[in-house]
Formats: sequence, C-alpha cells, structure tokens
Amino acid sequence: MPTEIIMPQLGESIAEGTVVTWLIAPGGRVEKDQPLLEVETDKVALEIPSPAAGVLAEVFVKEGETVPVGTLIARLADGADAKAGQTALGGVVNRVGGVVVTPMASPSGVSGHYSPAVRRLAKEQGVDLSLVKGSGAGGRVTHKDVVEFLATKSGQAGGDEILPFTPMRKTIAERMVKSRQTSAHVATFFEADFSGIARFRDGRNLTYLPFVIHAVTRAINDVPMLNASWGDQGIMVKKDIHIGIAVALEEGLLVPVIHHADRKGLTQLGKEVADLAARARTKKLTPEEVQGGTFTITNHGGSGSLFSTPIIVQPQIAILGVGAVQKRPVVVGDAIVIRPMCYLSLSFDHRVIDGATADRFMGRVKVYLEQSDWETFL
Amino acid sequence: MTTAASGQAITYLEAISQALDEEMTRDPRVFLMGEDIGPYGGAFRITEGFQKKYGEWRVLDTPLSESGFVGAAIGAAIMGMRPVVEMQFADFISCAFDQITEVAAKNHYRWGAPVPLVIRAPFGGGVHGGPFHSGCQEGWFFHSPGLKIVAPSTPYDAKGLLKAAIRDPNPVIYFEHKFLYRRIKAVVPAEDYVVPIGKADVKRVGSGLSVITYAAMVHLALEAADLLATEGVDLEVVDLRTLIPLDKETIFESVRKTGKAMVVHEDNKTGGIGAEIAALLAEECFDCLDGPIVRIAAPDTPVPFSTPLEEFFLPNVSDIVTAARKLAAY
Amino acid sequence: MDVSTEIKRADLLRMYYYLRLTRTLEDRITALYRQGRIVGGVYTSHGMEAISVGYASALERDDIIAPFHRDMGAFLIRGITPGEVVAQYLGKRTGPTKGKDGNVHIGDLKRGIIGFVSHLADNLPVATGIALAFKIRGESRVVITNTGDGGTSRGDFHEAMNFASVRALPVVFFCNNNQYAYSTPLRLQMAITDVADRAKAYGMPSEIVDGNDVAAVYLAAKRAIHRARSGAGPTFIETKTMRMHGHSEHDSAQYVPRELLEEWKKKDPILQAERMLVQLGYADEATVRDVGEQVAKAVEVGVEFAEHSPLPDGPETLDGVFATDDEVVP
Repeated sequence: MPTEIIMPQLGESIAEGTVVTWLIAPGGRVEKDQPLLEVETDKVALEIPSPAAGVLAEVFVKEGETVPVGTLIARLADGADAKAGQTALGGVVNRVGGVVVTPMASPSGVSGHYSPAVRRLAKEQGVDLSLVKGSGAGGRVTHKDVVEFLATKSGQAGGDEILPFTPMRKTIAERMVKSRQTSAHVATFFEADFSGIARFRDGRNLTYLPFVIHAVTRAINDVPMLNASWGDQGIMVKKDIHIGIAVALEEGLLVPVIHHADRKGLTQLGKEVADLAARARTKKLTPEEVQGGTFTITNHGGSGSLFSTPIIVQPQIAILGVGAVQKRPVVVGDAIVIRPMCYLSLSFDHRVIDGATADRFMGRVKVYLEQSDWETFL
Repeated sequence: MTTAASGQAITYLEAISQALDEEMTRDPRVFLMGEDIGPYGGAFRITEGFQKKYGEWRVLDTPLSESGFVGAAIGAAIMGMRPVVEMQFADFISCAFDQITEVAAKNHYRWGAPVPLVIRAPFGGGVHGGPFHSGCQEGWFFHSPGLKIVAPSTPYDAKGLLKAAIRDPNPVIYFEHKFLYRRIKAVVPAEDYVVPIGKADVKRVGSGLSVITYAAMVHLALEAADLLATEGVDLEVVDLRTLIPLDKETIFESVRKTGKAMVVHEDNKTGGIGAEIAALLAEECFDCLDGPIVRIAAPDTPVPFSTPLEEFFLPNVSDIVTAARKLAAY
Repeated sequence: MDVSTEIKRADLLRMYYYLRLTRTLEDRITALYRQGRIVGGVYTSHGMEAISVGYASALERDDIIAPFHRDMGAFLIRGITPGEVVAQYLGKRTGPTKGKDGNVHIGDLKRGIIGFVSHLADNLPVATGIALAFKIRGESRVVITNTGDGGTSRGDFHEAMNFASVRALPVVFFCNNNQYAYSTPLRLQMAITDVADRAKAYGMPSEIVDGNDVAAVYLAAKRAIHRARSGAGPTFIETKTMRMHGHSEHDSAQYVPRELLEEWKKKDPILQAERMLVQLGYADEATVRDVGEQVAKAVEVGVEFAEHSPLPDGPETLDGVFATDDEVVP
C-alpha cells in the first residue's frame, strides 16, 4: 500500500511550505526515518524524515514550489502501511444547544403550542390559530403559516392573493434585475434542423439537450469569446468550458453546472444532465455543482415556447435558449419539406461581443447541430 | 514589517502588525511590552523589526511575569502612556487575571483615573496546541465591568479594531485568533481607518436564520451559508467583532427579521457568551422568535491535543449546517 | 545620622505636625466607628505614622505615591484633607471616590496618589509601570510604593522587585514590617528575619530603618529617592515597627503578646519626635500644645464637613464604569 507524503505543518500559524531539495531521487529507495526532503517554512529550513521505507514512486511538488500545508507532495511505493487517521465522529453533540422541540401532533392537528412570534402575529391580526394548518416540524404552526393564512383570508375577500417572498424568490429577483442592469443584453435568433439528431436519437435514451451542449462546446472552441466574463482588469476569456443548465423548480430555478463539458460525450452529458436536474429538484446539490459556470443553456421549449430572450447569468456574457422542437415546412433546395426545426435564441452582452461574433458562434452551433456524425460523439 | 500598499492583499497577522506600526508612528505614547517581542520579533513574528525601528524602550522584552508586567502596563497607562501588552498565548492571561479584573477594570470606576491599556491575546484552537495554547478566555473577562473585549475575524477588522483599542481610554482585551493569522488574506485600505468598538458587522445578509458569531467561527458560518444556499436556506451571518460592549441593536435587528437565532462560538458552551446572547434574545426579542435559540459551542472540556479529539471538540461546518437545517425546518 | 545638620527645622516641625494630624484623625475615625457612625472596615496606622510621614515628606510635588492601607500620613501630606478622608469613610459623595470605594482606598491623580486595591502587593507592579513611564519619557520623577510584611509574600511583590531591578526603574519600595499580617506573625509569614534580605535576590540595594523614627525614615527615603532620580534604579527600605492596633479596628488582636505592645508603646513615634524636637531646641511644651489644638480643630472641621455632605444617589452606581476620551492625561 503506497505511503502518502504530505506537506507538514511546522508551526502553529504556518499555512504553507516550500520544497527546497528532494534528498532522494525519483525511483530511489529510502529507509524509514531517513531524510527524504528539505522543506522551508517562515525562513526555517527543516529535513523531513521518511515516514516509512519504500521507493519514491511519485513526486508531485517540484523543488522551489510552495504549497499549502496538507498537500500531497509525493508517494512511496512498497512502503509499510501508513495508518490512516481515524476520522472524528463529528456531528451534533452537546455542543449544539437549543434542542428543537417537536410538539406532539394531536388528532385535530392543533398542537396548542405556539411560538412567541406566532402568538404575537395572531393577536395583532385577530387570527384563530386553531384554524391555521401547521407546516413546521411535527405539524407546528409557523410564522409563515400564519402569514399565508392571512393572505388567503384577505385573498378570499378581495380576490387578490399575496404570496410571501421565499428566500429563493428574493435571490432570483435580485439576480435577474442586477444582470439586466449590468450587461447590455442583445438577442439574436437562429433556427436549426434537428432531423439528423432526431434520426440518431431514435431508439436511444437521449434528450435533445446533450446534443445542444455538445454543439455549443465545439462552437465555443471556434469562437472562444463567447466563453468569457467581464472582470475588473479586463475581459477574461475562460480556458475551461463549464456549461450551466437551467433547471426549473416549483418555487424557482437553479443552475447546476457541467464542468469541462467539452471533454464529455453524449452519453455522459445525458447522464449528468439527468442527475443534476434530479438533485436540483431534491435540494441535494453541492456548492461546487452550482459554481464556476462559463456559459449557460436554458431549455425553454418544454412547454411550447419557440423564442426567448433569456437573462444572462453573471458574470458570464451569453446564454442560449433552446425552443421547442417542432415539425415545420421548410425549403430545402427548391422543394418544401417537413423537418423538425428548433429556434435557438442567444442573449449576449454587447459590452463584450458584437452581433457579428455572436452570429458567427450561432452559425457554428447550427452547423454542428445539423451536420455532426453523432456516432463518433457518443 | 509590512507597509500598507494600496490594493495589496495582506494576512490577518500582517494587519495586526501594520496597526501596531502605524499607531506607534502616529503616537509616541504607544509602546509595547511582552515576552520575546524584541529582537525575536514575538512568538508569531508580529513585532519583527519593531525594536530596530522604535528602540528598546518602546519594544520591551519583559521577564516571565504576566502579573508583574500587566500591572506595570496599568501604571504606565495611568501616567498617560498607551501600552500594548502582548500575551504570548492568550492562555497565559490567567496569570494576570488579578491585575486585569481587580486593578485595571475597576480603576476608573473607583477613583476616576483612566487606564488606556490594550492586551493582545492570541486565542483559539485548530493548531494542535493542546490545553494551554488553544483556549478561549473571553468568558472569564466578559463578566468584569470596566473591560472592553474585541475579537476580529478579518484583516480589515483586525487592523481597524486594534487601532480603535489603542485609541480607547479604557482597558481593552484584544483577542486575535491564531488560526486565522496566515489563513485569511484580504485587501485593506492604505489610509488610516478605525473600526468602532461596540459595532457588529453583518458579513452576509440573509432572511432565513440569524447566525451570531465571532472570530474563526465567522468563516465556518459563511461556508455553511454557501452550502445551505443551494437548499434555499438563507443565513444571515452577524459578526459581533466586539464582545463587550455587545451591539445589541444589530443582533436584535437581525433576529427580528429572521425570527430564528443561532449563536456559534468556539469557547466552551456553559457560561460562554452565547448564553448571555440567548438570554438577551429571550428577554428582549421574545415576541419575534419563531423557533428556539440554538447555541453551537465546544463541549465543556479543556481543549484536547490529539487530532481526532480536537476535531471533535471544535465546532465545524457540519455542526452549523445540521443545526441550521433543523432550525430552518422548525 | 545628625538630624541637626541633615534636616531643616521647618521640615522637622512640619513632619511633627503631620504625625499629630494623622494620629488625631485616625483616633477620631476609630471613635466614630465605635459609635456606629462609620460602617465597613477601619484600618489605621496607629503607632506607624512615622513611616508614611517620613517618606511622603521626602518627595517632590510631581512625584507619585502608590501606597497601601496604612499610609494616612502620606495622603494628608499630599493634600487630601481630613474632611475628604472622613467623607470617604462615611461613603459621601464629597469623598475622593464619591462613595464608589471605602475607607482608605483613596486615589487622586492631581495629587499624585494611586488608588490601591485590597489585594496587597497589587500596587507594586503598578508602581513599576509608573516608574517605567518616567524612564521612557526621560522625566526625573520618582514613585514610592509601600506594602506590609504580608504583602511581600505575594507573587506580585517579587515580579515587581524583579522588573524594577532588571530595568533600573526610578521606584522606591517601602515595606511596613509591623510584625503581623492580620493574626499571622512574622515567623509564619517568612523564614527570614529581615524582609530586606529579599532585595538581595533581585540585585537591589536595601536599608533597614527604625520605622518609629521619622527623621531616620525621612533620611533613608531621601537617599533612595536621590538614587532613583539619578538613574541608579530602585531601593528597598524595610521600616521596622509594631502594629499597635488590630488588623482593622474591629480586631482586638488578642493574638499579640501584651509585652510586645508594652515594649513598643515606649517607642511611640510621636513621643520620639517630641523628644527629638525638644532635644534639638526646635520645640517645647507650648509647641506640643499648640500643634495639638491645631490638629484637633482641623479634624473637627473635617468631621463636620463630612457629616454635612450628601450621600450619593442609588443610580450613581451606574456611573463611571468606562472613561471617556476627554478624560485621559494628555
């Protein structure tokens, strides 16, 4: 079992160290406790003895390089087992107070226990709490429940309904407005013939989206400016392609990201899209999965929408809307044929790119959608 | 020593060093006392180069006598100097407990003579320091009328609060978190600025749940907030910055908005200042509470040394996330 | 020691006046206590007046004293009036601490008196800090500090002596060795006979002086003050005396052998001073009678002032915990 060599912490507040000299050459043998390398932290240079006997199989950090404490800097092969540290039991122990009491749910659903905030609001508004349905832990009536109750009550009276703001709604609202205020949104519309894709899809478990993603990543390679962001020091053209996919939720939307989408084939893209969408709906995404997007695709055609003018996800500079795929009569050569067509709507930031660039990009997307040999991209 | 350059990011440690340097230049009454702060530059190198710049009588290497040199600092302060005493580790402040609580804290109250003293104390764990190099001592002094206590979490706050402490005519205990020394970096303004003592700072605006916290735990709370955002739980993180006097206004404003409060601190749970905040919320914000007040703190033990033990001891992001989910769903 | 040449007649007479004033004032306070008009503790320097009168007379106006609870003579010489002393004992608003502290815990920066705490020897490190301020600022001022035989058992005593020696600070350490710390005789307090031996351990010169001979105390103080002012550092002066009353006036001190008290009664400092003045031809019976009348009048005026002074109001309890910016010595 290989032994991992990590950058040690040589001092209470030291956060990084520099590899000064490797005392053993790669492939060389080292005995237990024999000096393996020299490390410098905070002007102090120290020899690090090898934790085990073995052969220096892999070196990840070169001489002169500085890395954070804990970084894996090398691996020994044939070394004695390095005991993995027991992970802490962690979790919520007596260090967490304020044990959340779950009130007994009585048959009628009325618990009789109301929080101070609930009681105050009920008193102020003259609400009979026994009429309010509880959505909190154990069927507890929450402040929100009372607010909503009041809204429906007044709604019945006047015909209007007040929906209290959810945190997600507030966040979305803020972001949408801010994006419109930040970017110079311009739209350009293309249409693509999806017959090739439709033929290829037949019998395969693939939606249209992986194809679009794939075409977009290749088009980005042709027109890299579409994969950029507006920064303090200039326009940063991103090297990596991380495609965000807008997922509609009951209460709003989330945009999980497929990292390095250009390195993935159709099958993998399809799997990832399905997985991310499912976990977005069940609130099981990790922070990394919603961060780092460089270009976003929004599939608005699901309920029949043809065109759209989507709002760019900051700090990106473009977003592609995919409309409904619909059979339409189109002209091929001099004949009229029926083809499954799809309108593609690109909103782009005119601060960064102009119409010509946007259209060149869209042109490439169209070509890739219509003319790819999809077999090779599975 | 580092000099302030506009636009350059500095560490939490450099921020403290810069504050000392700038105050010593600005005000000849400011001088430093502590163990090994002279040629050695201090155990954490905060005063490196200072003795060369300011001389032996403004950067004094003291004998190993915390009670003696804190008492001396009190005397010098009464005479109009502005001493800044460095505890090598906050854990050694207990040796000077008598001078701090009986002499410094009560001096002005009893006979009207101000004691413009600052005691810098590197506190907190996460550095494998064990029971005597990792503790949190703010609880002991929280209860001594006449003292002010501050605990910054960022380089900006660290620099501004230390300046405020030095300029304050009262004894201030400045708890600097040793874990944050080199791990936090940020750009601070080059021009002179002060962070007022007694004002908390909302480090993250949110609407679902108020997390009231300070020092290293602020960063854990922010991390937890990012994760919880993906679940639609929106944390507001209130960084106290000053422990005494507490910014009750900011705390109450936050809890009135969210209806749910959680206090997170690294100090032991029982009698930690979280207990005082929870009591204040129950007393003065009762009607706005839509859920029980939650405290996350270290268990009631000394800080253990062994890594799995210390990891168990220190509150972590997972603790905050789990408790926040529960409280949000209440 | 040749008092006729070393001390001016006027100075000696002045010291005699203050010996009498101290005695009369403290006797009066004791009487008020026994009449139930003073509550709390009463601590006098009965039989030990020569110490505080001797050293305080040797100081200049801008020197500082950091005394303990048997230094009434020093307070009076520094300008605290009998009225202020009684007002302090009665807890009146016109006392130096406005009722915040009691009995002899008198402090006043303008008159150069550091308000001490009840924890004996806490004042010593503070005194070294005062001396440190003088040294840093290059002022030729001196601070005298005092504690009892019991006080020299505390860590703060040793930390202060050490620090003062290491840094050659302009401080004079007095020790009022009155042979009893409450009920604890010297032999249970320390394994040495002369407290002055402790100074050797810190490389500090010392003197042993008859604490009941005001001229001897005065001259020893003068020597030490001169040393300090010249930059030669601290001196330790042990004044040997006897505590003629109990630890406080409620204490009948049955634990003190009667013979010891009889022996020391003969050496009463006021009697000794009178004998000396008469011998030198500076005073006669008439002088003694006159001074007696003067001090009695001064004390009565003081008592009347204090008894007619107002008590503070309850809410004044909340004032003065913190100093404001405008209060600090520039």
